[in-house]
Amino acid sequence: MSIGSAFAFPEEMRELHRRIRRLSWLSIVLLFIAGTLIFLTVGQSQAMKTAWISDILTAVPPMALLVALRYELRPPSKRFPSGYTRAVSVAFLVTASILSIVGLYLLYDSLTKLLRREHPPIGTIELFGNQFWLGWAMLVTLFLSMCVGITLGKLKTPVAKKLQSKALQAEAEMNQAEWMSEGAAILGILLVAFGFWWGDAAAAAFISIEIIRDGWHNVRQVIGDLMDEAPTKLGKKDLEDLPDRVAAVARRLPWVTDAGARLREHGHAVTGEIFIVPRPDSGMDAAALLRATEDAARQIGDVDWRLHGLAVVPVTALESSIPPRVGHDGASR
Amino acid sequence: MSNGALANDPPPVAGDTTTCRRGERSLPPPDGPHRTLAPMHRLSAPLLLTAAALAACNLPRDPDGTLDRVRGGTMRVGMVIDTPWVTDSSDGAGGIERTIVNDLARELGAKVEWHPGPAAALLDSLHERELDMVIGGFTTQSPWKRQVALTKPYYTDTVMVHGKRTEQPHAVAVAPGENAWHVVVERVLRGKKNEFPALRQARAR
Repeated sequence: MSIGSAFAFPEEMRELHRRIRRLSWLSIVLLFIAGTLIFLTVGQSQAMKTAWISDILTAVPPMALLVALRYELRPPSKRFPSGYTRAVSVAFLVTASILSIVGLYLLYDSLTKLLRREHPPIGTIELFGNQFWLGWAMLVTLFLSMCVGITLGKLKTPVAKKLQSKALQAEAEMNQAEWMSEGAAILGILLVAFGFWWGDAAAAAFISIEIIRDGWHNVRQVIGDLMDEAPTKLGKKDLEDLPDRVAAVARRLPWVTDAGARLREHGHAVTGEIFIVPRPDSGMDAAALLRATEDAARQIGDVDWRLHGLAVVPVTALESSIPPRVGHDGASR
Repeated sequence: MSNGALANDPPPVAGDTTTCRRGERSLPPPDGPHRTLAPMHRLSAPLLLTAAALAACNLPRDPDGTLDRVRGGTMRVGMVIDTPWVTDSSDGAGGIERTIVNDLARELGAKVEWHPGPAAALLDSLHERELDMVIGGFTTQSPWKRQVALTKPYYTDTVMVHGKRTEQPHAVAVAPGENAWHVVVERVLRGKKNEFPALRQARAR
């Protein structure tokens, strides 16, 4: 047994893993095209400026994920003996910081414009020999950007579900929430068209809050990862039942009386320790116990494909608390 | 105009180039034949129709009603002397940009009220919408571009700056956020586009 091995996706998941990469590239390209279209019609509209930055920012998580994907399958090294699976958490950290900081700045920018009662000037644009109000072109580019977001969200959600990928799920949710940002910008421009100057800055403020909200979701994920939170269900706060299932499998081993699991997520992998109490009457000598323990580690690892680098620790007693704690000589039972 | 018009619609003005039939603005019924299409397509048809209908109406509108006030009324124009774009003249401004003001005034049937002064003071007033327009040989790189609304460049001048040929796109400044007014000014500028090279040539130093 080695103390560290590279995390690998099972055969049937490899194709999905490759698809994450393709989806990430697709996201970056489409979001940059949408961002460029909005940029071309941005004028002096604050809502358009915010929508433009929002589109570019939404391309940050796929970029961070692409970098993380390069690292997560690397074998552990002397410097990083636990492997690189947590690179995905680093991707969350990058996304969280960028979204929160830029979101706060844009909110400040929009609110100042609103408080200073800055009226957004929107002139004309010439297209195919016709001259018309730039606002109409803005509505079209915003609508296109909205379609991009909804499409990306729809493509990512099923892959995220199958791969149990929190990073991709967060992206999908962010893409899908884009319709609210673009919808707000469309409403803002329409308000300006009807002569309500505040519609522009108000829409921009709303979009900024949406960006901050995305940032906050990522911050929460990072905090959970740092605190070794137990595995949670995809896109939800609820805990998964994986630790219970793992403990149940361990308990069913003939030589085990009790078992408890302490699991945490490392990117796409789940790792942790399983404590087992061997039967006092099993009559195993030290060598047999060691062999049985290593067998148990292999068997438990088959419960779920995400389990990786599990440590199985034989102990004399476990407290029957949740989560179970290693007891002292059975005295504390 | 009277049937079903919004309460805050501006009154119709004679000679308005954009006519608007109110009936066109109504959306198609939500439970139309688009029912079976994917959600995105179901959205796009009404959205595009709305955009087309909106464009046909008197939109955009000015928050402060500048265009309605100027039409048949008075146009308050600030002027900063910058030969040959804006020159001093006994009747207000002269120079290339005077012709822009003339054309605008003629098209809108407006009198011109001249406000000569330094750029800082005039553009400040323009920002507060106490003026409708300021001419003064401004380029689109003007440091004032965030405070006021500069139009699209109407003419790009080539001058020598520090021995290098530099392009200077010229624009006029209009009251920020008065978008209907802004659109009319840019329309007039585009209509005159072919006149500017000759005007510039005639005033070459």
